Amino acid sequence: MNATIQTNFARLQIMKSKVLAALRKGENYELKTELNSEYKERRKEAVRRVIANMTVGKDVSGLFTDVLKNMHTDDLEIKKLIYLYLINYAKTQPDLVILAINTFVKDAEDTNPLIRALAIRTMGCLHVVEVLDHLCDPLRKCLKDPNPYVRKTAVMCVAKVYDLNPAVADENGFVGAVREALSDANPMVVSNAVSALTEINEMTPGRDVWRLDSSTVPVLLTAINECIEWGQIAILEALASYTPQGEKEAESICERLLPRLQHANGSVVLTTVRLLIQYEKFVRRADLLTQFAKKMVPPLITLLSSEPEIQYVALRNINIILQHHPKLLSKEIRVFFCKYNDPIYVKYEKLDVLVRICSERNTDPLLNELKEYAREVDVDFVRRAIQAIGRLAIRYESAADKAVKVLVELLQLKVNSVVQDVVIVLRDVFRRYPQTFADVVPTLCEHIDYVNEPDAKAALIWILGEYSEHISNIGNLLSVCLEGFLEEEDEDVQLALVSSVVKFFLKSPQQGQALVLKTLKTATEKCANPDVRDRAYIYWRLLSANPNAARAVALAEKPPVEIENANLPPSLLEELISELGNVSSVLQQPAKLFVYKKADKAGVPRDSDLGARYGDGFDGADGGAATSTSDNGAMGGIGAGNEGEPELLISF
Amino acid sequence: MAFFATLKAAVNIATSQSYDIDWREPKVKEAAIVHWEEVKAAADPALPLAGLRLTAEQKSKLDELLKGESVFPDQPTDELLDGMPDAIPSASLNRICGSIIDNCLNNHNHAVVAASDDVAIQRASLVVVPAFSRYLRSVASLHDAEPVWSAPLDTVCIHVQRGELIYVGVVSREVAALEVLELLEGVQQALGEYIGHVTELTLKENFATVYQLLSEMVDSGSAVTTDTAVLRGLVPVPSLVDRVIENVAGIGMRAERRPAVNTSSTPWRAPGIRHTNNEIFVDVVERIDATVEAGGAVAAYDVSGDISCNARLTGMPDLLLAVNRADAMDDVAFHPCVRAARWDAERVIAFVPPDGQFKLASFHVAADPAASPLLPLRLHAATSRLPDQSHAIEISADAGHTAGRPVEKIHVRVPLPANAYNIRVQCKAGSHTVSNVRLPQVEWSLKALRPTERGARLTIHYLLRAPSASEPPLSAGNELGAQAAFVDFEVAGYSISSLKVESLKLLRESYKIFKGVRYVTKAGSFQLRF
Repeated sequence: MNATIQTNFARLQIMKSKVLAALRKGENYELKTELNSEYKERRKEAVRRVIANMTVGKDVSGLFTDVLKNMHTDDLEIKKLIYLYLINYAKTQPDLVILAINTFVKDAEDTNPLIRALAIRTMGCLHVVEVLDHLCDPLRKCLKDPNPYVRKTAVMCVAKVYDLNPAVADENGFVGAVREALSDANPMVVSNAVSALTEINEMTPGRDVWRLDSSTVPVLLTAINECIEWGQIAILEALASYTPQGEKEAESICERLLPRLQHANGSVVLTTVRLLIQYEKFVRRADLLTQFAKKMVPPLITLLSSEPEIQYVALRNINIILQHHPKLLSKEIRVFFCKYNDPIYVKYEKLDVLVRICSERNTDPLLNELKEYAREVDVDFVRRAIQAIGRLAIRYESAADKAVKVLVELLQLKVNSVVQDVVIVLRDVFRRYPQTFADVVPTLCEHIDYVNEPDAKAALIWILGEYSEHISNIGNLLSVCLEGFLEEEDEDVQLALVSSVVKFFLKSPQQGQALVLKTLKTATEKCANPDVRDRAYIYWRLLSANPNAARAVALAEKPPVEIENANLPPSLLEELISELGNVSSVLQQPAKLFVYKKADKAGVPRDSDLGARYGDGFDGADGGAATSTSDNGAMGGIGAGNEGEPELLISF
Repeated sequence: MAFFATLKAAVNIATSQSYDIDWREPKVKEAAIVHWEEVKAAADPALPLAGLRLTAEQKSKLDELLKGESVFPDQPTDELLDGMPDAIPSASLNRICGSIIDNCLNNHNHAVVAASDDVAIQRASLVVVPAFSRYLRSVASLHDAEPVWSAPLDTVCIHVQRGELIYVGVVSREVAALEVLELLEGVQQALGEYIGHVTELTLKENFATVYQLLSEMVDSGSAVTTDTAVLRGLVPVPSLVDRVIENVAGIGMRAERRPAVNTSSTPWRAPGIRHTNNEIFVDVVERIDATVEAGGAVAAYDVSGDISCNARLTGMPDLLLAVNRADAMDDVAFHPCVRAARWDAERVIAFVPPDGQFKLASFHVAADPAASPLLPLRLHAATSRLPDQSHAIEISADAGHTAGRPVEKIHVRVPLPANAYNIRVQCKAGSHTVSNVRLPQVEWSLKALRPTERGARLTIHYLLRAPSASEPPLSAGNELGAQAAFVDFEVAGYSISSLKVESLKLLRESYKIFKGVRYVTKAGSFQLRF
């Protein structure tokens, strides 16, 4: 079989190359002529076209030698474009790249620092082992270059050399040179040295090539003031791996970090917040801790007036910070009010934060606000808003009155989906405060016709049973429910009805006797669901054997409802706090579930590892699994209408 | 096993590129198992190949090639996976690569600019980006797609949507999410500055520039710089004039404008800048974010602002700017040129400006909890249900706190529910339009509203169509009618926080400068609830 397939495949390959040749010959042939033109300008335009073709995925590798001929030029744009071309095809044609080496080595000695840096950077990006031998000498010179732009580029190049061959980087003393660069006079060089060392550390799991010590920290803290934003981020991230040697050091680091909170780049701000929270546990002075907390608030609030994407990341992190520092933002509740045109992912997060930071004092404005949200278009958001009202009512007794008032107002909108959600929430509130809101029940009963979803029906029937003495036409209402009993598919509704009828009977035996008999008879004789039948039998026997026992059981005092705990598990919270601002804190799952491990690339991972990783990462409850199923649906639906304009993808 | 050979040939044809997939790579094998549906789809000649667009000619060649091949099995079998063919001589995916992938997102065409770090890039074009595109299509509205999305192959897609484009960063390691977002924001601004209106077409036309820019901004997955003042020194801004000169006179003419790297202590300002007229213009722009209830009460209120400059000054000017209410500026973020220590100690802004347009500072106005919020435009709304079942909205606008200045460029946008019809609008002042592109909406524009004038009024009537039996029931918003209006306005020459630039002094240089300061207060995210 193998042989057939090999032949088959060979046939395909040949056909493929023929097809390709036919398709591509025309343009590439023309480009080849242009690249060898005697006019500089035509050659330049041809290089531009080669790059454009490369970008849209056309194969221009055949032009390698022709492109290379143009490499020796004093036009920087052409040089850069040809370098990009080389990087693109270096892996497929490593032998040919060697032809370019001489130009690289020569460029690395150019008088223009920009060209020296470009040559060094490109040689690193080629990522070809063959280049390594030729790279070492120029790199050594560039690490000592008088121009800081060249030095900072050379420092980054060391990380690339290390990735290719750690031994070469060590033997040539490159890593040592990068360590020395930490005390360079130019802050850009310092921050790049930090990035390079951090990157090298990531390549060698379990063995730190570089460790931040208490003598380097002040150097970095001085350099950070002079750095541009991206350098500041690199230094801040390196500081996150540092454990202060004592209280004094932690205090001084924190104080020197505070000015970073005033930065236009949100990432600088959030990484600083992360460091402050991380170092806090080493600080004992209460006045300092209060000061830090106070300084953290305004920049976090400012992030919320940024673009929605940034708001989202900020909110996800604020949600984590609040589980660690519950009181931090309690005065800022209005900032988190949702805008009608906020994207839905921002609204969900704001709603979570609102419920989290709401204190007993500001339940009133929040309840008014939630009432507004319950009128919006998105059904899911409306549901969450109504549930939030319930959570506030259950948490704060003082807010319960107002919350129930709001819920009743929403009920009176008579919007189908709203009624369902309100009824379910009201049941929970009623359980939390038994008999307190009996006067609402008649209003609720007026809307009984709107209740049509199983969960809501079960909730309503439960309320009918609990408050039967407050409803004048209770017998009728329950009888109406019983009429639909057998058609009812949901067992929760059936169980609720059986229980409620029994409660009604126990509370008013005379009115309820006929109904309870009818109900129990129907449930035991005609109902297909064994659970419902069993429940009805138990009630029946209880009622006939010992009505007092039945009363004690059916009308027993119920355990109080618990407020659902929306907090993360403590161990996960701790992990996420230490990764604040990072992707794992946004996804709210530990990094190991989504981070690609470099080690896997070298050794073949054991199958069990893979199973476990994918088991957690993809099939678990995270976005990956959920979307892969919906994806298939989307594909089916889109298949026919897939004739839109092409989408453009540029990678870099 | 034959299927894989076919698949590979198919993918190769489709991409016309040496995009060979090495099936022995454990990661690819895993991916094949996890994404079996996609792999299958890729091998199916009826579907666009691996998300790639084919010409009719390519397609017919491909059909010919695939003729007679067996159908892909529904489940990956061990035999299939173990029997993957030996690698065909080819390399792994390119480090810098580009391809056109065929996708339409909710019928709106969006180009995707993807940035990846080193590991992710190798897999990005294989599975991640197509999967991301499918995710975007699966959400009800593009606007609601989550910015941080856990993608296949242990990667995460972080994206921003700006204009017609989606900028996505594919990351494969733990990074600060905001760093990626800020970088994408920086990329989008730099592209805007270099090629003007960024669209799929202008991107394609300027590939050479785009590539140079990206390689200066990102080096193997980490951000290098996004400052356009620095970038201008590294990559020349393409202009029509340059092209003409090149075509006429050849390259020589441009040699003297060769980019140079500025490594001075003021990287944002190159030495030796000369201007004949030395002038600096300062713009103080304040934005009000507010939510106003129908009755006029203010539910949420927040003011933030920017101080932007346009400086055309010779040499190395050192400027000192003082404002009257420094304490009202809360949470100030400065341009890197500002000496933060001077601000902390003396509350003055000392800086050596970059040349041209730049944002000197952005700030937040500290709210005084005791004072009631100031609004330049007072809005009221009343909604009612008429006996004929039609809905009515009446919006009124009056000039408020503007220190006597007119409120200009007033624009009110009222989105109506999808099921609204028979929309009638009345207004005495200004002009209105009714549009129905995706959702029906009414827009109302007023050139100016003076404090002495009577307020303006807008009335909208509409009906709501009931759903037919086959449709899902209406949500609250669709049943209750319009919920909010979005309002835009500006007041020139007015600062809502009464912030003033008190003085702007030039040190170090001896020439005279022309100074100009403008104030404007605008609506930020300003909504009126019904």
